[in-house]
Amino acid sequence: MLFNSLTFLIFFVVVLAFHYAPFIPWRVKKHFLLYASYVFYGAWNPPFVILLWLSTILDWYTAKYMYRTEVLSRRRWLLLASMVGNLGMLGYFKYGNFLLQNFQQLMSSIGVDYQPPAWDIVLPVGISFYTFQTMAYTLDVYLRRAKPSDTFLDFALFVTFFPQLVAGPIVRPTDLIPQFETQPKTTAGQFGWGLFLMTLGLFQKIVVADGLLAPVADAVYKARGMLAPLDAWLGTLAFSGQIFCDFAGYTTTAIGLSLVMGFSLIDNFRYPYAAIGFSDFWRRWHISLSTWLRDYLYIPLGGNRKGPVRTYVNLMVTMLLGGLWHGASWTFVVWGGLHGLYLAVERFLQRRFGESVAFKGTPVKIALALITYFFVNITWVFFRSQDFATAARILKSMLLLETSGKPILITWHVWSAAGTIAIMLLCHWLLRDRDLAEVAEKTPSVLFGLVWGAMLFLIAITQGGSDAFIYFQF
Amino acid sequence: MHSSTSNSDLMAPPPPERPVPVQSWMITGVVTVVVFVATLGAWEWYWRDWGAQPTYRNSEGLWALQRKRINQGEGDATVLVGSSRTLSNINLDVWEKLEGRRPIQLALEGTSPMTPLEGLANDPDFKGKVVVGVTPMLFFSGFQYRDDVLNYYPKETPAQRWGQWLSMTLLEPYFAFYDDDFALFTVLKRQKWPQRPGVKVDSDVRRLFTVSKDRNMRLWEKVENDVAYQTRAKEIWREFWTNPDPEMMAAMPKIVATQMERAEKAVKKLQAKGVKVVFVLHPVDGEFAQFELHAMARERTWDPMLQRTGAPGIHFQDYPQLQGYWLPEWSHMARAEADRYTTALYPLIQEKFQSTGEKK
Repeated sequence: MLFNSLTFLIFFVVVLAFHYAPFIPWRVKKHFLLYASYVFYGAWNPPFVILLWLSTILDWYTAKYMYRTEVLSRRRWLLLASMVGNLGMLGYFKYGNFLLQNFQQLMSSIGVDYQPPAWDIVLPVGISFYTFQTMAYTLDVYLRRAKPSDTFLDFALFVTFFPQLVAGPIVRPTDLIPQFETQPKTTAGQFGWGLFLMTLGLFQKIVVADGLLAPVADAVYKARGMLAPLDAWLGTLAFSGQIFCDFAGYTTTAIGLSLVMGFSLIDNFRYPYAAIGFSDFWRRWHISLSTWLRDYLYIPLGGNRKGPVRTYVNLMVTMLLGGLWHGASWTFVVWGGLHGLYLAVERFLQRRFGESVAFKGTPVKIALALITYFFVNITWVFFRSQDFATAARILKSMLLLETSGKPILITWHVWSAAGTIAIMLLCHWLLRDRDLAEVAEKTPSVLFGLVWGAMLFLIAITQGGSDAFIYFQF
Repeated sequence: MHSSTSNSDLMAPPPPERPVPVQSWMITGVVTVVVFVATLGAWEWYWRDWGAQPTYRNSEGLWALQRKRINQGEGDATVLVGSSRTLSNINLDVWEKLEGRRPIQLALEGTSPMTPLEGLANDPDFKGKVVVGVTPMLFFSGFQYRDDVLNYYPKETPAQRWGQWLSMTLLEPYFAFYDDDFALFTVLKRQKWPQRPGVKVDSDVRRLFTVSKDRNMRLWEKVENDVAYQTRAKEIWREFWTNPDPEMMAAMPKIVATQMERAEKAVKKLQAKGVKVVFVLHPVDGEFAQFELHAMARERTWDPMLQRTGAPGIHFQDYPQLQGYWLPEWSHMARAEADRYTTALYPLIQEKFQSTGEKK
């Protein structure tokens, strides 16, 4: 079920009515919330709910037995069982075809004509998200960061909680399970602010990502010939805005939905295009994934505790795997690899030159933020391109290595993309060190209502509604 | 204190608590609702004043609803596949009066009927009759403007089915603005922006039809009555044959051959299971006729296609009763004309079906 659909609107109204119905015990409401979450997920493809159940049961029991035993080898076996089960499902559905194709190419390179069987498998929506979320639970128990949940119901709800089930934020068990213990007491402020965040998220998705930017990015990345530099740049900039507004739109809606029900979810984005440097970028972009990778991959690999060379290797491994998490394609691996490289170079420069006082002034900060944004855009080329040939073509134009390409974007697309990106960058910069709630608090109520009403109006007349969120495919 | 996963003895941090701004939520809420209702009301009024009325959307879900009928007990029905001319020119109400049974309308605007035809050939539930509308420039090029529909049907999710029902129940019958052609960015895109040198502009085809619940389409009143709108529709058609892509034109003979092969295979498969197939080439007028009937001359397309498939065909140029209709924008019939045309076409189609049976 898509947030940006009428079906979801009706679904949510029903869920909310039951959630706030008087005289119904919290336990019954939790059951309802759990079943509603299964309906939400099953509305895409009912059989895939079984995968959720398998993941839930596997991690419930492995964590439970792991917590009970002090025998290290037994704990390790249980952790291994959880990892194999979770990553096995993820691997089968997401990477099976990729592995087969690469194996075929490898065989072909040594002269063996191997024809793999057809691998026509549908990817369960959001599998990468809930797999990481359940793995965090078992890993936390293994690392003795947390106790297992007291009740199966709370744990099952943690795995399945519909607002963030399919595209995050990837919530840690310690952040969410305790919130299920007692019925949250929602204030009018939480309810109102939650509704506003839902509207903001849908505005980002429907109006900005799908309405203004997607047509530009699609036109550029589907074009076959060489493009004029301006077009290549605008297509890539449009994609940078599209993917942000699409993904941040989803998580903002998820946070709003949860808040309307009285639950708090963590931030997943903090104005990433105002980042100064790449470690700053990853503190602001897809925060729940970057912290997951940091806590469960980078630090266990040794983090920065084993010398500079090992730190660079750990950074690169983490980011390469982070790239692969996004999709079974080498273009995603290159995307992750570039980010790993940027982080390593940044760390090297910091070690070599330290923090310069010259970097403190606002103009320099703006310049550094723009440089960061430039390099981030280079990575988006690989993320968006279907293949390396397309990526090479776009990059050649962007880097002015080839300037004879054709312009393809119509005037409306040029101005709509350029204007939207300029406004987005300005908003990111102005809000980089502030919280949106703080800005809302300083806004007069009537003005706040005008802006909110205008956003709803623009959502309604844009008429978007059937475009899936980009991150669902991951 | 929480007793489970966040237990503080295991040093887990407390759950997050989101900051919530202090606001007069009542005032904010009232202003929001008033602004939303007032602006949306004004937008709806604007479009109604301009001539729009609520109509069902010719969506992927609407097509899927009709396609499903074949697998839900109507496998022996007459199915119409084709492009927009089949949608506008064959009126289902008139057909129903003549036959006593309503056909299933699966034609798709701007789209070759080949993929739906192949779908029917491969569907074991389908044992009815097929009328294949041929718009030469689409049929023989295999072009699929409504790719979305063809990709959607096999993958339709329960949520999409529910959404279709909700949209048809709560929105489409009541809101005139709820139409792809009136969506904000579609409207903005089609404004007369100064164009960049060297950029080819392809205008989007404007709204041409009104749609019923079972995809019985009629030419929109505005196309018949508003001369400026008619002229604009013609200008958009004209873009099709102005500055054609030379690469595409060079590849056309090969593409035509491929489409013929597809048609032959699909028809043979249908005929093998006893399904009768008739091809119909609907009238076309004005500059559109000059272009289409020349670029896709019948001796290179229509005639060999009938020969290869062995199926009968009805070409409007061969029947006086199929000529002389009013096509306000050269391609689709006016409402009253479509009724008259369906009445004239129906017996010819039945005759062809009959002759196919006799041959067998």
